[in-house]
Amino acid sequence: MNSDDTTLNEQVDVVALFRPGRTMCEPVKFRRKNGREVTITEIGLRHPRMHGAKTIHVFDVTDGGADYRLEFDAEQLVWRLTREADKW
Amino acid sequence: MVGEYNTETPLVMHIDLNSCFASIEQQSRPKLRGRPVVIVNRATEHTGIVTASYEAKARGIEALMKLRDARKLVPDVVAIESDPAKYRFVYRKLLAIMEDYSAHVTMKSIDEGIIDFHQAPMAIRERGLEMIGYEIKQRLRDEVGVAMRCNVGISTNRFLAKTAAGLHKPDGLDVMTHENVREVLSGLKLTDLHGIAWRNEHRLNSVGIYTPVDFLDANEEVLRRMVFKSIDGTKWYKRLRGWEVDDIKTTLGRVGRQYVLERFDLTHDDILRRLHHLCESVGWRMRKQGLAARGVYVYARMANGYWHACRVATLPFFSNEAIYTVARDLFSRAPSDIKEIGIHCYELTEDTEKQLGLFAEELARERAVVGATDKINERYGERTIVAADTIDTGMYISQKIPFGSTRYL
Repeated sequence: MNSDDTTLNEQVDVVALFRPGRTMCEPVKFRRKNGREVTITEIGLRHPRMHGAKTIHVFDVTDGGADYRLEFDAEQLVWRLTREADKW
Repeated sequence: MVGEYNTETPLVMHIDLNSCFASIEQQSRPKLRGRPVVIVNRATEHTGIVTASYEAKARGIEALMKLRDARKLVPDVVAIESDPAKYRFVYRKLLAIMEDYSAHVTMKSIDEGIIDFHQAPMAIRERGLEMIGYEIKQRLRDEVGVAMRCNVGISTNRFLAKTAAGLHKPDGLDVMTHENVREVLSGLKLTDLHGIAWRNEHRLNSVGIYTPVDFLDANEEVLRRMVFKSIDGTKWYKRLRGWEVDDIKTTLGRVGRQYVLERFDLTHDDILRRLHHLCESVGWRMRKQGLAARGVYVYARMANGYWHACRVATLPFFSNEAIYTVARDLFSRAPSDIKEIGIHCYELTEDTEKQLGLFAEELARERAVVGATDKINERYGERTIVAADTIDTGMYISQKIPFGSTRYL
């Protein structure tokens, strides 16, 4: 909706920590297709989204400069970057 | 009891998430914090605002205002399209936190609920509801996120607990008892009371009741005979004195959906395809509740009017196609210049195979097809299998936030 949101469907490499806590799984940084590395400074919210019986874990995160949405497909074990918003 | 205030220890807690959907977006997207944010259901300037953040409210934006008007008022307002999956997650988190304290939790909507501590373990009650209220606020921040805030109201009944929760937004915690009820009500307007809108305000004004304190001081008979002209007058008399009159379980009366057309120049066939999509959605929801219906009601809203039609069948039906067949037939008499359409099923009954009767074989076949389709949609996602004419209507009609009911959360 917001005109500055960019919708993406980009598979990304992610470094994540799995440990007890608010989100249980914490993406720490990710590398985009163009080689740019993004270090996550805050996970805003992690919520599950069901696609039929398949669970997608949605992570709304920021690197302090832009907000991103990462989606982890718990069946395929694939991370995708699906949104970027860097202007407000 | 009549005339007396309820003097028991307050054991009812009302919890209300502040500007719920806007707060959740500000939690999930840190760059939105501190900014005027509004949540809308549709990516158009004509759409109405569902929720505004406190920053937006402070600058004059209100719920239901058109986005176009909000932008005139606050040019830098950020509009975010609603994300029901995210709000459902926070709802479930809040519910889980509340259920840790009592088995008697009632969610009134997606963003507010009640904990009744009357039958909670003594160990919990002895801690005091104020301390528990502060603990719930902290748990919401720890378990959902630092930007989440809620109002907590504590009293002897649901009405006063809700009133208390609205006293110090955002992030307040207030207790109302027989000792401070008069003082608290003296700072409110009649329409600040939940359940008193302009119509009831007018009724109260007509007998000289202009403030909540006048309301509190009114005679029970005056309220019953002259103002509300029903038992509602007695209920208000008790409600204001802290007695519980609102602990009522409601049953599901109808299942429905509506849709504001994305363009107002659609052909009748285009509108029918959208109506078919709504029928599929209603049928799916109804079957998930294990229900069948006998009645179908369709309506259309035009620029300057409202049209509706309804029909009740002898036998209950449950399939999307059965609903759509009736709806399409009714809709053939709909006028032109339509801006909004809606359908709901009513006369709901439990869906049992005993209702097969005379057309047993035909209905058994229909049930098998519907059952198989529902199973596939449950496994691979809602709308994996749909009618051919609604295959592309999903790009316009997406799932929205079920306000006012928690049955589908």
